[in-house]
Amino acid sequence: MRPADVLIRAGELASAGEPFALATVVNVRRPASARRGDRAVVTADGAVYGWVGGSCSEPAVVREALAALGDGESRLISTEGSCASKGAVEILVEAQLPAPLLAIIGESPAAETLARLAVGIDWRVTRELHEDSDAVVVATMGRGDEEALAAALAGPAGYVGLVASRKRADAVAATLRSAGLEEDALARLKAPAGLDLGPIRQEEVAVAILAELVAWRHASTPAAPPPEEAVDPVCGMTVSLASAETHVHDGTTYAFCCVGCRARFEADPARYAVIGA
Amino acid sequence: MKDVLDTLEGWNAEGLRFATATVVKIERSAPLGPGAVLAVSEKGEVAGSVTGGCVEPAVYEEAQEVLAGGPPRLVSYGIADEEAFEVGLPCGGTVHIFLGMGRRDLIDELAAAVKDERPVALATEITGSEIGTQRLVELDGHFEAAIEGDTFFLPFAPRPEMYVFGAVDHAAAIGRMGKFLGYRVTICDARARFATRERFPDVDEVVVQWPDEFLRGTPVDERTAICVLTHDHKFDVPLLKVALETPAGYIGAMGAKRTTESRNERLRAEGVTDEQLARIHAPIGLRIGSRTPEEVAVAVAAEIVATRRKAAVAA
Repeated sequence: MRPADVLIRAGELASAGEPFALATVVNVRRPASARRGDRAVVTADGAVYGWVGGSCSEPAVVREALAALGDGESRLISTEGSCASKGAVEILVEAQLPAPLLAIIGESPAAETLARLAVGIDWRVTRELHEDSDAVVVATMGRGDEEALAAALAGPAGYVGLVASRKRADAVAATLRSAGLEEDALARLKAPAGLDLGPIRQEEVAVAILAELVAWRHASTPAAPPPEEAVDPVCGMTVSLASAETHVHDGTTYAFCCVGCRARFEADPARYAVIGA
Repeated sequence: MKDVLDTLEGWNAEGLRFATATVVKIERSAPLGPGAVLAVSEKGEVAGSVTGGCVEPAVYEEAQEVLAGGPPRLVSYGIADEEAFEVGLPCGGTVHIFLGMGRRDLIDELAAAVKDERPVALATEITGSEIGTQRLVELDGHFEAAIEGDTFFLPFAPRPEMYVFGAVDHAAAIGRMGKFLGYRVTICDARARFATRERFPDVDEVVVQWPDEFLRGTPVDERTAICVLTHDHKFDVPLLKVALETPAGYIGAMGAKRTTESRNERLRAEGVTDEQLARIHAPIGLRIGSRTPEEVAVAVAAEIVATRRKAAVAA
């Protein structure tokens, strides 16, 4: 594998809109098998493509990569103390999440403008409601706002906004409430959509909504549950169950950073089972 | 009205007569503000909009009467809340619309002025004995449409200026948002290697000059937005000093809290008062957690919009 292959793979995943983490060795204290600049791509299933060191670092990299995909935050990790050799590596794990999906419902100048500008701040834009929409903006200018909002609020979208005046927005919210929409669904509704920038013009509404979407994107807490982890009973390393070597003993599943640890466990389960249980 | 000028010029070229309906006043809120125009040609073609769909059919009928020789007229449409809900208007409110025949000679003159970015206003008598007469007047600094006495003034101001200092990635993104907001965007940097047309194809002008020197020699009015991204006291301090001497409506400067504080210290040492410092939006842009240059540009655009709306309300 050429060093560039990892980057090519990363590019392919990014183009396909697949989430992945890019791990890069940024520091090495010898002895260690990785060199500064070594890279690997970790996909959401915990598969590793590339090289960032062997069993000393790979389980930690997978664990942190999956965590990074969960919360979107990049992190710097160190294998200090987890290696039989006295070496250690520091690895930057960068989350590469696909752009969030914005559904813009309705045909109006505000909708057209927003669709054009949202692409510029790295959102994927669709003009109809998709069930995996992260955010929905309804701008039908009164031609079906209520129906569109009810459908959007029934889905998992974290941001649902309505383009309307304050007065009309209140009326729509009241209609939805009397139609039996739950309060916690209504609480997700931003009506009127957009940061309050004062009495703004029609064409400026798009800017107010974009600003609100940026704020929402970076404040929104990750919906994905943290990946399941376990402690290797032999070496004490925390490993991700998605990628770990496992062994079932007395009905309990034990996870290991590498086949070496598993072999040592299998040779003498009684010695390690207590620690791992 | 700018949005229909091209169409009106086209009708002119074909020798078509046309009537125009212009929103001259709104009460409470309405979809479109004063200056929104719906034009109807003698062939029945329509351009533009006055309310985004609600009262257009009625206005079209009025326009037909004017085209058939009827007198110019001022009509009002009260959009009762109940009714607005029925027809699906996004808001209630009242619109006052003036209808008259289009002065074909004025349209060409107006289109030329707009193209050359000359500040003019279209003055229309909407009440009184001269009702329906129109003329072009020089614009004297009033950039909002207004009724004075019997006359409705519709300004056609040249684009406001946005000056972005510092030829960095953020400048390209802010420049693009500036264009969207209707600014004529200039990027200025002292370093010829960075301030190139190739890096900033979307803006109106790229200038290689010391920032403070450039700003001192260029027109600035209340509508001007100044974005300081140079992020180096060597450029920032003299530049902001000049910016604070101008009537610019928006001054924003990049730099984290510490940078801003140390820059303010230097500006104070140069004789800048705290009151003047308060005009500077720093760090630049609304706090919305922006990460990428494009997101910072959204934060800056939102801040500019909020600032100029606040100024409009105060005026």
